[in-house]
Amino acid sequence: MNITVNGSQHVHQGNGSLAELLKELNARPDLVAIVVNGRMVLKSERVSVRLRDGDQVEILTFIGGG
Amino acid sequence: MKTESKLTLGGVEFESRLLMGTGKFASSETMTRAIEAAGAQLVTVALRRFNPGQPSDDLLGPLRNLKITLAPNTSGARNADEAVRAAMLCRELSGSRFVKVEIHPNPHHLMPDPIETYAASKTLVKEGFIVLPYMPADPVLAKRLEDVGCAAVMPLGSAIGTGHGLATAEMLRLIIEGSSVPVIVDAGLRAPSEAAAAMEMGCGAVLVNSAIAAARDPVAMAAAFAAAVKAGYAARGAGLMSRSAEAVATSPLTSFLT
Amino acid sequence: MKRTGNIGTIPDWLNPEPWLDVVRTADEASVRRALDAASLHEEEFAALVSPAAADLLEALAQRALERTRTHFGRTIAFYVPLYLSNYCSGGCIYCGFASDRRHARRRLEPADMLREFEAIKAMGFEEILLLTGERTPRADYAYVRDAVAEAARHFASVTVEAFPMTADEYRGLADAGCVGVTLYQETYDPVQYSRLHRWGPKRDYANRLEAPARVLGARVRFAGLGALLGISEPFFDILALYRHARYLQRRFWQAGLTISFPRVCPQEGGFVPPYPVSNRQLAQFVFAFRIAMPDVPLTLSTRESETFRDGIAGVGISKMSIASRTTVGGYETRNESPDGQFHVNDDRNVAAFCAALKAKGLEPVFKNWDKLFR
Repeated sequence: MNITVNGSQHVHQGNGSLAELLKELNARPDLVAIVVNGRMVLKSERVSVRLRDGDQVEILTFIGGG
Repeated sequence: MKTESKLTLGGVEFESRLLMGTGKFASSETMTRAIEAAGAQLVTVALRRFNPGQPSDDLLGPLRNLKITLAPNTSGARNADEAVRAAMLCRELSGSRFVKVEIHPNPHHLMPDPIETYAASKTLVKEGFIVLPYMPADPVLAKRLEDVGCAAVMPLGSAIGTGHGLATAEMLRLIIEGSSVPVIVDAGLRAPSEAAAAMEMGCGAVLVNSAIAAARDPVAMAAAFAAAVKAGYAARGAGLMSRSAEAVATSPLTSFLT
Repeated sequence: MKRTGNIGTIPDWLNPEPWLDVVRTADEASVRRALDAASLHEEEFAALVSPAAADLLEALAQRALERTRTHFGRTIAFYVPLYLSNYCSGGCIYCGFASDRRHARRRLEPADMLREFEAIKAMGFEEILLLTGERTPRADYAYVRDAVAEAARHFASVTVEAFPMTADEYRGLADAGCVGVTLYQETYDPVQYSRLHRWGPKRDYANRLEAPARVLGARVRFAGLGALLGISEPFFDILALYRHARYLQRRFWQAGLTISFPRVCPQEGGFVPPYPVSNRQLAQFVFAFRIAMPDVPLTLSTRESETFRDGIAGVGISKMSIASRTTVGGYETRNESPDGQFHVNDDRNVAAFCAALKAKGLEPVFKNWDKLFR
């Protein structure tokens, strides 16, 4: 399916689960936060989310900051 | 003056009174060694998009290994709503209740917005965060933020990254005088002597980022700052001697009391 | 060890005991550190009131002068006290108006008040302090509130010194136009407090102590504090007074405080102060407060002599009463009645006192004073 990840087009090859998406992106699940269509998805909720065509996903992590 | 030995923020105790920022370091490794050299127990981080092209450019892993407390900041937010949303993401990501509210709409001088900072802090306290607001050195704003439940106030010493030291010293004194929560000078410090001066003035802690990260030897500079913070804090507790010798009297003021 | 009287225990935020040792053991170095400190707390204040600091009184005076000039310039604010009534239910052993004293009792009726206000206005005053004794049916909350409302029509600033009230009552006073409420704890020592306040509602130490907080919580702009010097051990009371002021400043950062230094003097009934405070010691207390709390108005009444008042005006003291009567009313017809609450030692008229201040380079602040001086 075609989704947007961090503002860029992304073709998702998996079954639409967040776990599969993170694997595609080489992101460790415990080191990122996920926002789907503007709504934050808690770690505990991840397993129940299924992505659909056109979804907008933000994957966030920490960077150094003051 | 009696001083408690531990810094208490939102009920959480810290031995170290040197907080550190994690930005501007050349590498994750240098950052980690600097934090260790500083003995910092509370560090700030910022949110950004995960970069699939550089998956190993990870901050959270090394920081978690250090067993320190994270105080993610809301830098990038331009108003209270964005700061609150950012704080929620930060809490989800870090698991920490601490948040540094940092809202600077002007990208040049990076001065914090007092109105949005107040609004965001008020909301985030209600949401159960331990709120550390980065603020202009305004004594009235400091009391307002304390009133809505912030665990400390973080007035700037001078604009972020400028290294102009304690330009706001006069305002800091007023803030310290009136505050019942720790006052943590944040931004603008350049030299360890300035950190010592801030502690002698009565600050509860200092937050240092650029001065360490941009030093020639960040790890050594971090250790120097740690020593300075300890020295300044100890000096305040030891009672500095008085400056003046005899007062200059033209005619005695107390002759009416014979 | 906390002092407990049979009517109250001194709360931790108030208890001055930990600093009494500092008073005892302070030396020149600690006094000089306190004089030099940018912000002072109990430790420094205790050093400034100590016997060691008494040897450096001129240095304290210099610093007090400098602090007064910074925050008050060369001005002295004036107010005049008007006793509305000398009915009193209290049994204070040191007071001329205690209910077992043989003064004639009266109160001002609205028509009397109006005449007194006009007489006081004609003297040029803009700030008036309305006084009553402890709560009585003849001078109760409604009476005081109505007096405030009427006074507010005549004067720029109306303040009250009466009896402890509830938060609602203070809100009522604020709505009526009251900008300040003064209430002296008299002594902060619960044991001595219990001995001196023989009967009546004033025996309630805690209620009186908490009243200034209720004043500020009700959004009255100023709370006036003080301890009656002479009735109890002075270091205990002056340290407690300082702590009381600091406590209120922390709780109510938007509110104002004023501090007064009433010193008990002989009155009908023959009360002799058990802990007399000398002129030097009183001056030292004033200097210490000025240095430690540089922007808080410090007040001195006409209980004190001309010499003392002239000497300390502008050196710590920033506010004074003048040409006062401590009888009920007394401004409209200035009869020489001996039955005041206390004896007025400085009975100079407005013009004479203003001249004395001007000679010191001080500018009295109250509207129309120049009209009197012409």
